[in-house]
Amino acid sequence: MKHLLTSLFILAFMGVCVAFTEVSPFGESNRSSEANLDEAPFDIMMKVLTHKRCVNCHPSGNRPRQGEDSHIHNFNVQRGADDHGLAGLQCSTCHQSENNDFSGVPGAPHWGLAPVEMAWAGKTRVEIATQMMDPARNGGKNLDEIVKHLTEDELVGWAWNPGIDHEGKPREPVPVAKDEFTAAVKAWAAAGAVIPEQ
Amino acid sequence: MTTTFTLNGKQVSVDADGNSPLLWVIRDTLDLKGTKFGCGKAACGACTIHVDGKAVRSCSYAVKFAAGKEVTTIEGLSTEENMHPVQQAWMEEIVPQCGYCQPGFMMATAAMLKEIPNPTDEDIDNNIVNVCRCATYYRMRKAIHRAAELQNATTK
Amino acid sequence: MSENKKEKKGFSRRKFLVRAAIGTGVMLGATYCSAPFIRRKIAGVVNTAESPYMGPTDDPTIWFEVTADNTLIFHSPKVEMGQGTFTGLAQIAAEELEVGIEQIKVVHASTATGNIDQFATGGSTSIASLWVPLREIAATMRVMLLNAAAGQMGVAVSSLSALNGIISGEGKSITYGEVVAKAEEWEVPDTPALKASTAYKFVGKPIPRVDLEDKVMGAPIFGMDATMPGMLYGAVVRPSSVGATFLGADTSEAEGMPGVVKIVLEEDFVGVIANSYVEAENAKKKIKANWSTEKVWQSEDIEAMIRVGQGKPAVIQKEGNAKQLLADGEEGVIISEYYSPIGAHAQLEPNGAVAYVEADKATVIMSTQVINITRGEIAKRMGFKEEQVVIQPTFLGGGFGRRLHTPNAMQAAVMSRAVGKPVKSFFNRKEEFQNDTFRPPTHNVMKGKLTADGKIEAIEHNVSSGDVFFGSPLVPRLLQTVVGTDVGAWRGGMIQYHGIPNYRAVSWRVKLPFATSWWRSLGLLANTFAIESFMDELAEKAGKDPVLFRLDHLTETKADLRLAKVIQRAAEEAGYHNEARDGRAMGFAASTDANTPCAHVAEVSIEDGDIKVHKVTCVMDPGMVINPDQVRAQCEGSIIMGMSAILHERMTVKDGSLYPVIYGAYKMALMRDAPKEINVVLLENDDKPGAVGEPPLGPIGAAIANAVYRLTGERRRRVPL
Repeated sequence: MKHLLTSLFILAFMGVCVAFTEVSPFGESNRSSEANLDEAPFDIMMKVLTHKRCVNCHPSGNRPRQGEDSHIHNFNVQRGADDHGLAGLQCSTCHQSENNDFSGVPGAPHWGLAPVEMAWAGKTRVEIATQMMDPARNGGKNLDEIVKHLTEDELVGWAWNPGIDHEGKPREPVPVAKDEFTAAVKAWAAAGAVIPEQ
Repeated sequence: MTTTFTLNGKQVSVDADGNSPLLWVIRDTLDLKGTKFGCGKAACGACTIHVDGKAVRSCSYAVKFAAGKEVTTIEGLSTEENMHPVQQAWMEEIVPQCGYCQPGFMMATAAMLKEIPNPTDEDIDNNIVNVCRCATYYRMRKAIHRAAELQNATTK
Repeated sequence: MSENKKEKKGFSRRKFLVRAAIGTGVMLGATYCSAPFIRRKIAGVVNTAESPYMGPTDDPTIWFEVTADNTLIFHSPKVEMGQGTFTGLAQIAAEELEVGIEQIKVVHASTATGNIDQFATGGSTSIASLWVPLREIAATMRVMLLNAAAGQMGVAVSSLSALNGIISGEGKSITYGEVVAKAEEWEVPDTPALKASTAYKFVGKPIPRVDLEDKVMGAPIFGMDATMPGMLYGAVVRPSSVGATFLGADTSEAEGMPGVVKIVLEEDFVGVIANSYVEAENAKKKIKANWSTEKVWQSEDIEAMIRVGQGKPAVIQKEGNAKQLLADGEEGVIISEYYSPIGAHAQLEPNGAVAYVEADKATVIMSTQVINITRGEIAKRMGFKEEQVVIQPTFLGGGFGRRLHTPNAMQAAVMSRAVGKPVKSFFNRKEEFQNDTFRPPTHNVMKGKLTADGKIEAIEHNVSSGDVFFGSPLVPRLLQTVVGTDVGAWRGGMIQYHGIPNYRAVSWRVKLPFATSWWRSLGLLANTFAIESFMDELAEKAGKDPVLFRLDHLTETKADLRLAKVIQRAAEEAGYHNEARDGRAMGFAASTDANTPCAHVAEVSIEDGDIKVHKVTCVMDPGMVINPDQVRAQCEGSIIMGMSAILHERMTVKDGSLYPVIYGAYKMALMRDAPKEINVVLLENDDKPGAVGEPPLGPIGAAIANAVYRLTGERRRRVPL
């Protein structure tokens, strides 16, 4: 356990460094990691997964949310048949594969909604985690694939680089540094992907 | 950087910062003014164009993404021979008032009709979400239904 | 310029300009200065009097050009902002000129032509104010052409007649274009008799808009589309805080930004000029402007200021002794209070201008509703005479009153002078939302008292509003003093049921810390919402049908009879009934604005907690209708724009700034909000055209609120509903 905590500490430290040196345009460096050394990997992981940057596009129902207040996406934007918008109003009408600093419109590869069976909005972290581990509700992924999705997917990675909004203000990134999150996910998986009771 | 793409059927190359919004490249570099600036935030839809046939709001679309693609603006919607059914319907219903937002609406409609050839009122409500301050929506709805008729008549 | 500026009515020695193709020539003209009867004219614009025209009318040659291919270029002194004025004016001109509509090309008169309206395009007055002058000008020109043709053809003028731009007689014919090409000088005859309305070929017909094809094909016709050779892009730093005064700026960081040509730091603003718009905007972000603000304003501060009883009152209407009958402590007084929020114009085309200032002249292309004022502002700043400044107006990407104040043109001119090149400069959307000239918020207090038999004994309307007319650069300060009350704020605020024995209206003026001004229909939207909601409340208290109750309080005067007719017809057309059926209910409201009575019946339901308007029946009597299709278009647009304001829109002040700053967050009616059915019926109970573009905004709010009440039993008195 001590070894794991030490690793996490180092990673966390590196994560902060990375934030300071490379990702600072969006103010990420101003955020101090809320992780503390006693936190279990599950807790760290779920801080990210329950954050609005993730949940806004894991809505329950067919309407995405947006913004720091997670309001219903303007203009009645809808999920559509393939989770990428309606046939005539695709997510890609406005969202491209990277953030747009002129418009403040966020973007990342395959921008779209999580399938409706992966809805997280309004659920507890235990419910979300249980759902995430259920192949019937996670797109048939096994544990390795889940870890890969959480730690390597570019759209998931957007949560650490969420860009600026329409006023030029930085969006709030998820509250845990990327490397710290990656380490936590891997540690949690390696320890058997145990979901606590609450 | 130089970006090469097809604009209304003709190949064009522009020398611009790859992150420049395509809107300004079209309007100021290539001098086609039909694509409008309304908000610059992908919110109003006045700058809607087609990229590879799909509706895109060009104020929020970096020119580098257009490389190698087919870009169509309102100026290229109709052909020399035939007025596009959407524009034809807009003429028949006398839709525009001030007219500023109309190219964006027509481009959004043309893109929608490719995917949904016979839109219901609900399809129109959900897919056409541009902003018109003169509030010409009532006639636009009629024109969209009419455009669908015209399009289906020509493709059958 | 013309040979003799002081020339009086009667003669023009100027030759009609003949051009082979449009856009190749420069039209010359005199600057015309009318002696403005401003007080009457202002009153006419904002209230119910005759609508005057404030431009030159004595010389047809500054209105029309005839080209060699027999096209008549009509230089319109009024701008086209979507209201269809160009089409209506072309129809009117074509009648008296005896040409086909397709032979007329309407363009915006540049100030260089001399054909400028001294006041503005606005107030739903364009067609009404030009109805007589334009026919006279066109008819005069036709006679001038006939006279000249008679001389050229060597026949008596009495043997000639004109049709489709061709003059024929005694077996010969000649086109207008040919006549003009040969003519050396023109004599302006006495105004001839005008055509009888029974002979009209174009007036009264649903002619397609003359700008239709340009607008459908995406032609570059707007101010934003204008360019000049060698043009650069300017970006002005605008405050995001309410009540901010410019103190200065640190521009050092911006200077080194890519593409920057020059920074312009003036006493009242700072701007950057760059090679492209994107570069100018990027550099602008690096300018650190200093602003002073007296206070960090919040919405609650504004709401506390807008209260009836505070500020300066002015009695705007008084009949009988309503004040005593409705005084505090009197029995049976019914009181209701209504509120409306700050409204944004949100027109799609941002404010902007392309300006080129040279040593001794300035040329500006832009969207403006106040050509003459824009010119004056630029002349003053440049130290030029007005004649040295040419304003070329363009089609407006929406007006709605937003382009009655155009200091941005002056800023573009300052930047152009600084670099010696043309400069294009325009607002970004956040700046539009935060530096708008907003529709002022209002607080309306209605008081009423019923007689034993259920009629209104006394009624009073009090409105507290930010300024509309006061403080506007459009209105001379002296005139503001002469008029004394804010006629813009109380537009629509007078009681129009003249059968009520005692009525009174009072306007309370409040000066707000941000600019409030003209927003399509001015006070009409909020005032009619209050008055017509209250009429329904009184009808219910009286146990009367709301339609009959309204009719009960109208008299036999012409204005009241016209209102009564639209009320009756609207109820019939809609099949108005009081009870909710199948989850839907109807609401009724009516008002007369600028001599045009209008009644709406709205049919609504509540879906997922939101008010849904399914159908609106609109009956309006604008007098003579020039183009029924465009009058309908104005009704449809006004209804949906009014719905948008009443159901969705609201600006708020948070921590010193106005929000929201983007469409979407500023909620507006979209396609899905538009009624699926709008039935417009036009009555024509007057022999001349009246106001069209604003009157249908009046009753829509109350019609919806009254329907919601019938459906839910809940009386909504706060906009947005």
